[in-house]
Amino acid sequence: MNGVQTFKLTKRFNGLVAVNGVDLEIKKGELFSLLGPNGAGKTTTIRMLCCLLKPTEGTASVLGYDVVKTPFKVKTLIGVSPQDTILSERLNCWENLALIGKVHGLSSNEVKERSKELLETMGLMERSKDQVRKFSGGMKRRLSIAMALVSDPQVLFLDEPTLGLDPQARRTIWEYIAELKGKKTILLTTHYMEEADFLSERIGIIDEGRVVALGTSQELKTNLLEMRSMVVSTENLTAEVMEDLRNKYSRLEKVKGRLKISHKDLDFKEIVDYLHSRGVTVYSAALEQPTLEDVFIQITGKRLRD
Amino acid sequence: MKFWEIGKRNLKEIYRNPVLLGFLLGMPLAFMLVFCAAFGGGQASPIAMSIVDEDRSQTSSAFIQYLGSIEAIELNEPIYSEKSQAQEDLEDGRISFYLFIPSGFEEAKQAQQTVNLELAYKEADPMIGLQVKPIIEAVGFEFLGVAPPLNVELKGTESKIKNEVVNFYAPGIAVFGLMILISTAAEIIAGDREKGFLARMFTTPARPSDFILGYSLPFIPVLIVSTLIYLGVGMGLGLTVVGNLGHAFLIFFLIGLCSIGIGMIVGSLVKSESQAGVSWIFIVPIAMISGTWFSTEGMPSAVKSVAGALPFIHAIDGSRAVINGSSLSAIMPDLYWLVGWAVVLFAVGIVLFRRTMVS
Repeated sequence: MNGVQTFKLTKRFNGLVAVNGVDLEIKKGELFSLLGPNGAGKTTTIRMLCCLLKPTEGTASVLGYDVVKTPFKVKTLIGVSPQDTILSERLNCWENLALIGKVHGLSSNEVKERSKELLETMGLMERSKDQVRKFSGGMKRRLSIAMALVSDPQVLFLDEPTLGLDPQARRTIWEYIAELKGKKTILLTTHYMEEADFLSERIGIIDEGRVVALGTSQELKTNLLEMRSMVVSTENLTAEVMEDLRNKYSRLEKVKGRLKISHKDLDFKEIVDYLHSRGVTVYSAALEQPTLEDVFIQITGKRLRD
Repeated sequence: MKFWEIGKRNLKEIYRNPVLLGFLLGMPLAFMLVFCAAFGGGQASPIAMSIVDEDRSQTSSAFIQYLGSIEAIELNEPIYSEKSQAQEDLEDGRISFYLFIPSGFEEAKQAQQTVNLELAYKEADPMIGLQVKPIIEAVGFEFLGVAPPLNVELKGTESKIKNEVVNFYAPGIAVFGLMILISTAAEIIAGDREKGFLARMFTTPARPSDFILGYSLPFIPVLIVSTLIYLGVGMGLGLTVVGNLGHAFLIFFLIGLCSIGIGMIVGSLVKSESQAGVSWIFIVPIAMISGTWFSTEGMPSAVKSVAGALPFIHAIDGSRAVINGSSLSAIMPDLYWLVGWAVVLFAVGIVLFRRTMVS
């Protein structure tokens, strides 16, 4: 049985297709990321899986339970950390955790134990008795994730869990999510390449409501990336040389004062020799490892923005 | 008891928000103090009266002295001898009205002829004329022995009510005050929906009835405290509870539940906190046609029918009746309306919440 499975999952809003026939199979205990730009359909997909939105067509199941036919059962199995850190602002950490835990049917003792463990793990114990409206964005985000985990759900939906956080806070949350790998089925949405790359066992790239690529990070990079790139630091690079390069190679970009050349079957030596022959001084030249962003750009023709 | 957990959360959110709490409990207090103090509580201040004595006789002086002894009147000094001077002061706004005693006043009294007095006031302030004329007529009759043109025989029944005005206003204001719960409940639900909190809670295994009960629960203490404030302050300002205080409390409690139920429905339908605030557009007119501030007797039958179909008029009429001495059986129809409305509103609220949970 899969942790999460979707069957031609579709959602239309007044004729606008937000999610378009998505078929996904997320194995039990797998950490799967849906990567895509804003408006790609990530949150709409999660909202349907959480039984908040009714699919226009198709359906989905969580641990074998249909989200349309048995929503109440599905809700007993899931934990959700929404994109916006939604907390009860005038309640403290303990009270916020108790609310979700007890609505999931946990006893007071169970809630207390789980809350203590989560607050310690998330580094919130010191401020646990303060009303959360006084918290920073990072602290609220950590509490939001703790709230998704307090009922010890088998399936976890994390919608943009590190959105708007500073790199240090982001890293802390990544480490905690990484610890859950194999223990829970996790569907994470993000538009941060490095987040998907660091955390996921498999990644689905979603664009305009469709899953356009699926696989491990390495598979996506090697199988789908036809182009290779090299970055060259130069001097005396004339417009004429640039024009010649543009005509010969697929993509030419200036990145932080350096020249990035991308092309299928790129020949490193040929380019360096060509530049020398045209009187261009080459200070350094290096082949660049493909990134998920390169994959994304190649598949969608778009650039993901932070 | 999932509703209890949701209720506890809402209770804490309300009671840890001093502005909201102040509004919920402060409004009833302010309403009751302002209305009852303005229209019924305490002794009315005397009316300042200016007089022009053109007659300047012993009789006119005695009449003025007699007027001055009336509690409801305070004579302005000095007494004018020229009407033109008083008229000038009236037009300039230095005085609000004056009583003119013409020459021949003493002679007319002695000859037992018609005595003519003139009360001059600005037409822009007609209430002065309406308030003062009956006093002058009563005083004139007593002092001069002049019979009024119409003799009305009054057959009053001794009333236990100390202040009719307060007994009229207090129940209406209490019901209007409890109508605040409509907008407050609606705003809290709409606010939670706008911020996404409801969506988060909808991913948990809680049922629509848990939400309806969970959102109603925190308003029950507010409802009880508000009702106690209304009754307590009202009694302090002269409200006489002739009937059973518990019955009055029951009616206020039921209309409070109806208001919370309406708030739940409004909160389920609107999309934002600001939209929920629009409920005031309906609250005030409904309060008016339900007899909060005026009797509904003279209203057109269509308006009375609309008011009669809603619960508020039944709460106002019922509470006024039991406070003034009616038994519970006498107001049973009003009670049925209130219970019926409360049940229907909560049932509709649950249905709407179910619809809201999946879009």
